[in-house]
Amino acid sequence: MPIRKREEEKIIEIKEERRKKERNFENLKEQLLSSSASERRWAARDLAQYKEASQILLERIKNEEDVSVIENILSSLSSIRDEVAVKGLIELLRSENAYLRNAVIETLKSMPEEVESYIEELIKSPESDLRIFAINIMESLRHPKVLKWLKEIIENDENVNVCSTALDLVAEVGTEDFLPSIEKIKEKFSDEPYVQFVADLAIRRINEGKNSP
Amino acid sequence: MKKVLVVDDAATVRMYHRKILNDAGFQVDEALNGLEALEKAFKDEYDLYIVDINMPKLDGYSFVDKLRNMESIKQSPVIVVSTESEEKDKEKAYEVGANFYIVKPVKPDELVKYAKIFTGVPL
Repeated sequence: MPIRKREEEKIIEIKEERRKKERNFENLKEQLLSSSASERRWAARDLAQYKEASQILLERIKNEEDVSVIENILSSLSSIRDEVAVKGLIELLRSENAYLRNAVIETLKSMPEEVESYIEELIKSPESDLRIFAINIMESLRHPKVLKWLKEIIENDENVNVCSTALDLVAEVGTEDFLPSIEKIKEKFSDEPYVQFVADLAIRRINEGKNSP
Repeated sequence: MKKVLVVDDAATVRMYHRKILNDAGFQVDEALNGLEALEKAFKDEYDLYIVDINMPKLDGYSFVDKLRNMESIKQSPVIVVSTESEEKDKEKAYEVGANFYIVKPVKPDELVKYAKIFTGVPL
């Protein structure tokens, strides 16, 4: 092996060793605020082993601009998945940062059991965007209440985009007992071509028996 | 025939846009998110991009921003289509380089009209 390559490998080993030594909670908290994105990334990753790290990870992600650090923070929060992490992630659905918002949706989809209890609250939110995100998250849930929630939305929600998003999912998972509600929503939004399109698609799929109860 | 790339993570939205644009004489290709759209934009030439905002992997704003930094295709027109209807959402889309912003749900006439305008097809 060439000498230069051996030296490079040794430097990497030393760095790795130093990183391992510095892996205590207090140091990681400091490194999470480092000016070096690489240090923040490592700190975010290593904090996954500390249950008490949720809050500081959530604080950091609000101001983090480096995508790879954001990804590592989300991955650690997903790994910790305590109540603080889940509540904090749900709060981040209101972020102005579209990348973060969508990454948070994907993270919440990866923790269906922890998210279930918050869905009911989200679909009743006065903010239509949050109701839409709740439906996006529902895609990943295998909870018996998903069908009930979807029916509630298409029967009661007044926002056309919320209803359209729900209908998108109904077209995938809806069953025969959705048919009367779908007919009603077609009447309610009779002047909205997209609602008609997706409602017809849902009816067709249900009638073809593609979606079994 | 003008070629349009429809970028949206919702399959039904892509189907809906495809049908409207096909009926109006456009050739349509689809991408599930901004990242897939960028890959397609590298490989193929499109006369217009119709892009959602909230998508996994790469959101609509980031897609437009990256597209505007790709020398060979940075002039391509982009229509952003989103459920987000606040003025700040539109401003942000225009800031990153979108040519037009349509709030969902999209009316077929509206989509066809602006698709024609931005691709130079007579109305």
